[in-house]
Amino acid sequence: MGLRDRLLQHAPPIGSSQSYDDYVASGGYQGLKKALGMEPDAVTQMVLEAGVRGRGGAGFPAGRKWSFVPKGTGKPVYLACNADESEPGCFKDRQIMERVPHLLIEGCVAACHAIGAQIAYIYVRGEYPQSIAALEAALVEAREKGTVGSDVMGSGWACDVWVHKGAGAYICGEETGLLSSLEGGRGYPRIKPPFPAVEGLWRSPTIINNVETLANVPLIVRDGVEAFKSVGNDDTTGTRLVGISGHVENPCDVEIDPATTTIRDLIETHAGGVWKGRKLKAVIPGGSSVPVMPADAIDVPFTYGAVRDAGSLAGAAGVIVMDETTCMVDALLNLMQFYHHESCGQCTPCREGTGWLEKLVTRIWKGEGRPSDIDLLDSVADTIGGAQNGKTICFLADSAVMPTKSFLKHFRGDFVAAVENGGSPVWKAQEARRAKVSA
Amino acid sequence: MADELVKLTIDGREVEVPRGTKVIEAVRDMGSDVPHYCWHPGLTVAGNCRICMVEVDMGRGRQTVISCNLDCSPGMQVFTQSDPAKQARQDVMELLLINHPLDCPICDQAGECKLQEYSFEFGADGSRFEFPKVHKPKHVDFSEHVKFDAERCILCTRCVRFCDEIAGEDELSIVNRGDRNEIAVARGGEMTNAYQLNTVDICPVGALTSTDFRFKSRVWFLKQTRSVCGSCSRGCNTTVGTRWNKVLRMVPAENDDVNQWWMCDAGRLAFKHTAADERLGAPMVRKDGKLVEASWDEALSAAVEGLEAAGDGLFALVSARLTNEELFLARGILDKVGTQHVDFKPRTWPKDDLLRTGDGNPNAAGARFFGIAPGDGAHGLEALAESGLKAAFLCGEDLDERPDDLAALEAMDFVLCTGFHETETMRRCASVVLPGVTEFEKDGSFTNIDGRMQRIQPSLSAPGSARPDWKLLGQLLARLGGGEAPRSADQVLKSMGATHPELEGLSLGRLGPLGKSLPQGESPVTEGENTVTAGENTVTEGENTVTEGASA
Repeated sequence: MGLRDRLLQHAPPIGSSQSYDDYVASGGYQGLKKALGMEPDAVTQMVLEAGVRGRGGAGFPAGRKWSFVPKGTGKPVYLACNADESEPGCFKDRQIMERVPHLLIEGCVAACHAIGAQIAYIYVRGEYPQSIAALEAALVEAREKGTVGSDVMGSGWACDVWVHKGAGAYICGEETGLLSSLEGGRGYPRIKPPFPAVEGLWRSPTIINNVETLANVPLIVRDGVEAFKSVGNDDTTGTRLVGISGHVENPCDVEIDPATTTIRDLIETHAGGVWKGRKLKAVIPGGSSVPVMPADAIDVPFTYGAVRDAGSLAGAAGVIVMDETTCMVDALLNLMQFYHHESCGQCTPCREGTGWLEKLVTRIWKGEGRPSDIDLLDSVADTIGGAQNGKTICFLADSAVMPTKSFLKHFRGDFVAAVENGGSPVWKAQEARRAKVSA
Repeated sequence: MADELVKLTIDGREVEVPRGTKVIEAVRDMGSDVPHYCWHPGLTVAGNCRICMVEVDMGRGRQTVISCNLDCSPGMQVFTQSDPAKQARQDVMELLLINHPLDCPICDQAGECKLQEYSFEFGADGSRFEFPKVHKPKHVDFSEHVKFDAERCILCTRCVRFCDEIAGEDELSIVNRGDRNEIAVARGGEMTNAYQLNTVDICPVGALTSTDFRFKSRVWFLKQTRSVCGSCSRGCNTTVGTRWNKVLRMVPAENDDVNQWWMCDAGRLAFKHTAADERLGAPMVRKDGKLVEASWDEALSAAVEGLEAAGDGLFALVSARLTNEELFLARGILDKVGTQHVDFKPRTWPKDDLLRTGDGNPNAAGARFFGIAPGDGAHGLEALAESGLKAAFLCGEDLDERPDDLAALEAMDFVLCTGFHETETMRRCASVVLPGVTEFEKDGSFTNIDGRMQRIQPSLSAPGSARPDWKLLGQLLARLGGGEAPRSADQVLKSMGATHPELEGLSLGRLGPLGKSLPQGESPVTEGENTVTAGENTVTEGENTVTEGASA
């Protein structure tokens, strides 16, 4: 593909995990060694210049985030690695954790050096036992070899890394919900200010970065800013790991050059095209919470900016593909059930509104909808959405609102049909089966 | 830093506030109000109800934000009444009610419910929600005092934060997720903290109700009287709710210098004695060994006769639950009689780090100030049984729980008792009984543990011909030759300046709703100090600006 495959360049196949020795043989821990010889601020400066943006979905520049850590507070600084990967459609971070765990560990320790932390917590999704096992095993090696522990690579500087297992809640992937959970509380997102960089874990300065973001750090430090920026463009520097799933022949994870790879390439080249020879109907490009794109909108490069300009978000790079047979009412119902179930219930609009959305979509899906329900659905979505307008503490409500509004915008016909024709074809098929069984 | 002022504009008015002030506080201090459920001035900011929305322009265009977590900053422009702010509040109201049972007709909170108030103020005229509501547990006992209705709950977490942050018992939390969320007592147990009824006060809706008060009365039929709790020397400010000449509930009234927004459960439930069956409604004198009802004139005459006969052989036990005005009059009586055998009975109460002082006498400071203590070489309460004294005056006090002292009283020639209910002491020992009243039936002042004089006010009328203690003591004093009987407690207080210069110029009205601190260093607050030295300090007027506690 004409791309130096950087994060997973030396990764063993799925199902196996790279050992410490193999990792070092392929150039591993050189970035950390170099970082330890640099002033912490110089490491932050490199990450800033590399322009690497948060791979968890928000796309905030990592170097800028690091620079928010206040100096001289007398409090410890923490690094929290967000490995919750809770967004439906996303399964890219596990590639790093399971196949090249030392890359993430190296990234964590290097980042700790840059921000002045000596403890990193990797908060791993509880449903990822393989990731947890691979990281734990790699940490045993790393402590033995001294890349983690009381004297990191002979520098005299101590840094520890801990794996924390989540207990199965979408909201714990929200960065401050993750902190609450890590402290042992309910995974409630926190009001801001204070921002976590100032007051995070145990009210101390805390930086929260996604797995893939941190995995890029050793490569940036080792190979330099220019090498990193040789892939991608000014908007999205470096590679992106993308998970492609749904109605494709070959669901997969790939590492791509976002500047030269379009969403169509992801589906047709990397995932073997839409399955069963069917036509494409819709794509959710960034994980289930981002706006859906119709089939004719996918000829855009997978950069943050290009996907945004095309009406959606690259988000956490979980590309969900839906073929022409998909009933979009049924697909939206699936999402509404999820977000209703996962709302933490803290803020009024999300707590009450996500349930209302699910009830409305269910009514349409079951053929009990009224023509006015379609506009009502859109209006209720407006009522609860808009964390940027202060409606809620975090973006979970928006995660339900963005699909709702975009589904209605691009696939209104499916909803009208469900209202007029007695429900979603999926519902009608289920009813027919039930009738047959009871007959 | 703390005193640094920030200038901003709120609804077109320029205001200056100390740095660190939240916008919701700045608006409140202007005398206006941003609607709020989860925010409470005494608790940390939760920011979950989302109704305190305002529009703000900090130089980058207008945006809507919650005002409870927004620091006032220089040059900020706040719009509390803009269309987007109002729309956001209306949206939150609609959402709060979609799963709410709307059972206002049978809800105890009706009349003081923030859901009702804000619906009335800016709710829509209907709901777009037409589905079955989420059902949750109802009438759950959180403890013997607190009932919970999860369907009415709006999950603002005020109760959770109160228990954790104020009562020091992290015993409530939220369980489940999303619109299935409900408040639960930790580990399925019961609430145990000694301040749990405050959660009922601060619950903005009808989710938490008081087992004691629920279904007793619609709150708008209650007569609300501001007073002071008589259970300990903290002197928590209260609002007493009465109807049918009965106290139905007592809740804390805000006083930042005393109890803030809180009071203990035991204190607020200590009003049952007002309705006790053994209340005294008429004076009594002992004839042929039996107490029989008598006229006030007859009883007062008998009392004066007994006191005068006793002279310096009188033992006087004066209650530290009496008001300052009453203690002053009692002191005057004892001076006229000429006795030094004077004391008050200590009374214990639980003690903690929040409010409860451990001293169950609400006016122990006043008792010390007015010299209710044995003179040099005289007998105090502990020496009563061996004193050999032949007459006693139990002024608002009894010795029911002290059998040796009761036996000593029984052997005396003359015992005068005042009090509001019939005691064992009266039945066995009293020669004359003069019926007084409870702290819910009279005017006056208590001096709390910090030397703050606070006003109590009557919320009930006393039974029968019982008289406020200041009145009956004033009449006794007059008959003992102490001039004219006072016509009011206020008149007594105003007259004190002549002998107690530090009280010069004081009146019950001047104490105001929040009370007045006596100058520090004066004897009223000195623990164990029994003699009074008249100081030169005078009470400074005007330092306590009278502001009715804003209902949080």
